Amino acid sequence: MNTVNMVTRSVGILIGLTMALQAEPYTLGQGIQVNDMVNIGSYFSTEFLAKKGQDTASVEDVAVMAYGDINPMLSYMAELESVGFYSKNISTGIETGNQTFHIERLYGDLWLADAYNIRFGKQITPIGYWNKEPINVLRDTTSNPLYTTLLFPRFLTGIDINGYIPGVEGARYHLFGQKNHDFDDEYINIPNTHFFGLSVEKELSTEWSAGGSFGEYTTKLTDQRTRFVQANAKYDDAVWQVMGEALMAKSEYATTEDSSALSGYIQGMYRYTPEHAFVTRAEYFDDHHTKYKDTIGIVGYSYRPLYPVSLKGEYQWHSLNAESCFLFSFSVLF
Amino acid sequence: MKVLLLLIGLIAGSAASEYSVIMSKKNSLSTLTLQQIRDVYLQKRHTIGDQTIIPVNLVGQNEVRSAFESIVLGMDRNRLNAYWIKQHFQGATPPLTQPSIESVRLFVQNVEGAMGYIPSSMVDNGVKVVYEF
Repeated sequence: MNTVNMVTRSVGILIGLTMALQAEPYTLGQGIQVNDMVNIGSYFSTEFLAKKGQDTASVEDVAVMAYGDINPMLSYMAELESVGFYSKNISTGIETGNQTFHIERLYGDLWLADAYNIRFGKQITPIGYWNKEPINVLRDTTSNPLYTTLLFPRFLTGIDINGYIPGVEGARYHLFGQKNHDFDDEYINIPNTHFFGLSVEKELSTEWSAGGSFGEYTTKLTDQRTRFVQANAKYDDAVWQVMGEALMAKSEYATTEDSSALSGYIQGMYRYTPEHAFVTRAEYFDDHHTKYKDTIGIVGYSYRPLYPVSLKGEYQWHSLNAESCFLFSFSVLF
Repeated sequence: MKVLLLLIGLIAGSAASEYSVIMSKKNSLSTLTLQQIRDVYLQKRHTIGDQTIIPVNLVGQNEVRSAFESIVLGMDRNRLNAYWIKQHFQGATPPLTQPSIESVRLFVQNVEGAMGYIPSSMVDNGVKVVYEF
């Protein structure tokens, strides 16, 4: 209970600071612009998971972030996040939680030209759609596809050279690399010592876009070297959104045979009104090395009374029956 | 002959675009594509050629702004709001705003690289039209 009080008090303090600092009319979800050098924002999400023998309520994410322009060529982003902030197993009454804040992002952007920017520091890996908008409130389902969490490092502690591809309207590239440990090895899905890749994306029209990437990484603990290719496509209009991503990976191990993994998802969303949407997703995941194979079907409903306030419910059917579950979440971006 | 000229004038007048995207005469840009203007207003692009662009929006809900968002950006206000909320997470902020059409015109006239949109009927010699919609 103390933890819940702490969260309430923290949010209260944040709102208080927000009110005190604001110079321009505040729009929920777009942060506070103190000046050109300092914009601040925050978000949190709560989740309820109902699974066989495991009903859990949790404050899943609590985060604060700051960003701004130091000068016309140099800007920064800093974000601190606590994942698994508080959790209670409703069946057993056991409470757990970790209020340690980790560095989610800490990077600078050196803008040299529209075709040539350099992002340096800890950043989100620029692959596909889902990975670039990883927080609950921006997603249309509470869950993440397995594709985005198990097959490539979600973060990069290195350099991303990015920009427009000259002569190709609406096309962008990211050439990224890391040759060191992660900024925070405890706070990444795949700790690694070496990660590089190239991704491209193109807006085909206002509604259509597509892209792809390839890369390689070496894991820190097992020295496993993985190479992957990935593709993504999206259609998005005022009513419908359909997007899909897929990835194929091949890994080399020091002591066991090489193996491969294949995963992907396709998700459709129908916006009944700007506030209400129905979502459905089909996922496939097959990792030969871990022998983890699952096919997942999801139906969900999303309600946003305001866009940065999200209430979502979903039911997941898994081919691994024990994994089937119901998920509900409430999240807000300030 | 006068009747013919009058008819041509009427036809040309009725076909003229209602709104114009304008820039300062201080820069060398002439006409721009819809994609270029869209990228600038969505803060995906900061320059066109060697010119740094400063896009300016009309503040709040406005008929001119709604037309610009719908025709040029291809988004209604809900989608645009969602877009800027996602950009907030990425560390980007929306363009500057000006309180009136007249202040947009004056800002664009006086700031090299500034870009705005106003009714075509309010375009004068102080600014140049780079796109019409």
